[in-house]
Amino acid sequence: MKIVVLFSAGRHPASGAPCPVPVELQALRLARDLAGADEVIGLHAGPVDGAPLDALGHGLGRLIHLRMAQGDDPLPALAQVLEELAPDLILAGRIGQGGEDGGLLPYALARRLGRPILADAASLGAGDDGTLTVEQALPRGARRRVVLRLPALLTVHPAAAPALPFTFAAARRGTVERRDIAPAPAAASEMEERAYRPRPKLIARAAPGASAAERLKAATQAASSGGRLLVDPAPEEAAREILAHLRGIGVLRRRG
Amino acid sequence: MSRLRRDPRAEREAMRIAGGARPRFSREASLPVSARPRRDPRAEIEALLVPGGTRPRLDRLSRGGVRPVRDEATSPSESTVQTRIVTEPAFLVAVVPDAPGGRLTPLDRQLFGAAHLLAAGGGAVLALAEPGHDDLAGVGADRVGPLAAVADYDPEARAAAVAQALESLNIRHALFAETAEGGDLARRVAARLGEPLFAGAESLTPKLVTRPARGRRVEQRRAPPRLVSLVADSVAPYGGASCEARAVELPAPVPTTGAILSAEIILADPATVPLGEAEFVVSAGNGVSDIPSFLDLARALRATPGASRMLCDAGLMPRAAQVGASGTVLGATCYLALGIAGAPQHLQGITGCEHVVAVNTDLHAAMVERAGLAIIADAHAVMPALIAALEDEP
Ligand SMILES: Cc1cc2nc3c(=O)[nH]c(=O)nc-3n(C[C@H](O)[C@H](O)[C@H](O)COP(=O)(O)OP(=O)(O)OC[C@H]3O[C@@H](n4cnc5c(N)ncnc54)[C@H](O)[C@@H]3O)c2cc1C
Repeated sequence: MKIVVLFSAGRHPASGAPCPVPVELQALRLARDLAGADEVIGLHAGPVDGAPLDALGHGLGRLIHLRMAQGDDPLPALAQVLEELAPDLILAGRIGQGGEDGGLLPYALARRLGRPILADAASLGAGDDGTLTVEQALPRGARRRVVLRLPALLTVHPAAAPALPFTFAAARRGTVERRDIAPAPAAASEMEERAYRPRPKLIARAAPGASAAERLKAATQAASSGGRLLVDPAPEEAAREILAHLRGIGVLRRRG
Repeated sequence: MSRLRRDPRAEREAMRIAGGARPRFSREASLPVSARPRRDPRAEIEALLVPGGTRPRLDRLSRGGVRPVRDEATSPSESTVQTRIVTEPAFLVAVVPDAPGGRLTPLDRQLFGAAHLLAAGGGAVLALAEPGHDDLAGVGADRVGPLAAVADYDPEARAAAVAQALESLNIRHALFAETAEGGDLARRVAARLGEPLFAGAESLTPKLVTRPARGRRVEQRRAPPRLVSLVADSVAPYGGASCEARAVELPAPVPTTGAILSAEIILADPATVPLGEAEFVVSAGNGVSDIPSFLDLARALRATPGASRMLCDAGLMPRAAQVGASGTVLGATCYLALGIAGAPQHLQGITGCEHVVAVNTDLHAAMVERAGLAIIADAHAVMPALIAALEDEP
């Protein structure tokens, strides 16, 4: 099985220095565990190859670097090379770190290549005759096991197995193939950029004219949902009421 | 400054209606015109009256905003008047709520609040949701577009239906929830329409949306584009009058052939899921001394066990189970508190919980006040009864 892992030009969130995005290294590990080291190719499109080079040390044997100017649209170049390589599986990070950070590229790429896309893979297993079993990470620790027909594109969730450790020898051994591609300037956007300023989070809804004491209460106690009070019920009645209430909320699962 | 002296004769002359044999006067033209509205002390007192009780009580803290409804007989007619009706919307703002299992999440409600911000000036809010949702009118949907229910897990079919609805109706903005499910849908729709998505907006006004980028080092801002996904707790939920939630016709969905052959959900094991991620937490406090029975109850309810600091300090429960300011802050939907007084440090851990159920012997405990359902009873009697009731059912 041939697998291509997409690497973005990651930056460290604190220092701003180039560094690989952790979830992409996890994707690399998933790919290696599934197909073996020789079948995995890394692909990166960008001006410099600083961050993705580190992926070589984390177990990537071969990296293809598509050189393009700063601010170009990587989508056409990636699509062209991926059509050429025709891998069975493409893995990408969930959301980049250091660029636009919108997480839209894998979807646009999947659309362009006409492949199905599945988000948030946490573990992969090969199925029979061209299928793949994917465990998808859902919120609150749940998983969804999906059987998928290949070829496909998957994004990887941070709940996947941790990345392989960096080894210097592996980083030396890995090869990088640089290709120049036709420039594809990105469409002009009306986006304006400023230094980031954290926005206050909405904590609780106090009525617009409420007093300071009321606002404090709303912020620390949250809204009580117009409570019902049962004083000294029989234990059986209390149990019945609690179960009915829990069932109404929908948190009680049927057993079995 | 002294008051102007009145001249009654001149005032009378000004009121005279010309013509006719008999003198005639009209008071209408001469009423004093003042910019300040006249106070009505009786109505003001009336508005401050707290309902119930035999003695009249005045609540001077409420500054006019919400008037308590005193007379039950008049309230229905008032509420029918208070429905927001948009007959001919100039444009539509679509909301695509996540609504797992037909229940709106707090973020879904905030999406409606954001949509009402964008719909100001003649727009209407359209909810694109599968049928069978709770109260879309109450949370602020002027229109409801029923999406065809997707039986199995097929995100691409849902995205196709949403994209088709966006194409066919005159929709100016579409708002998605930036969660695992909603974010995935938003990106699929954006890729389908070939439009940019403003992903993870952190603030939103009709003129400006902002989002973090480059590892949260810069803030990108622009006028709201068509597709926006919103993070939690950035916009207040809609709090106005109830809307009409009129159904609109959507085009029939085009069948798609998905690559997904099968999908099954594997529920998280409540015993091993981290406390902060758990959906349903049962927690014991100093009022519970029978810990094995409590753990049995947690297992029977399939909930994650938690505890107050008293139990953790006493070594009866592991420290990892502590809920509160110096323990774990929960993200649970529901919290069942057994014998917990509800100290502020403990309540801080459950501010995010939508539903709280309390069992306590003390009627005046803070936890009882916080709870949606409070049982004043001995926890040691209720716990076995709960276990028995759970075993009885099929
Ligand atoms: C700096 C600081 C940080 C703290 N952080 C935390 C924290 O993170 N988490 C935390 O939980 N606490 C924390 N605390 C401690 C907190 O202030 C309270 O002391 C603690 O939460 C009280 O726990 P409790 O409600 O279980 O016990 P109690 O206050 O003893 O309350 C017991 C309750 O159980 C009821 N009860 C008694 N018998 C029964 C029965 N048979 N059936 C039913 N109900 C019964 C009683 O009516 C009472 O309401 C912190 C304190 C400090 C100073």
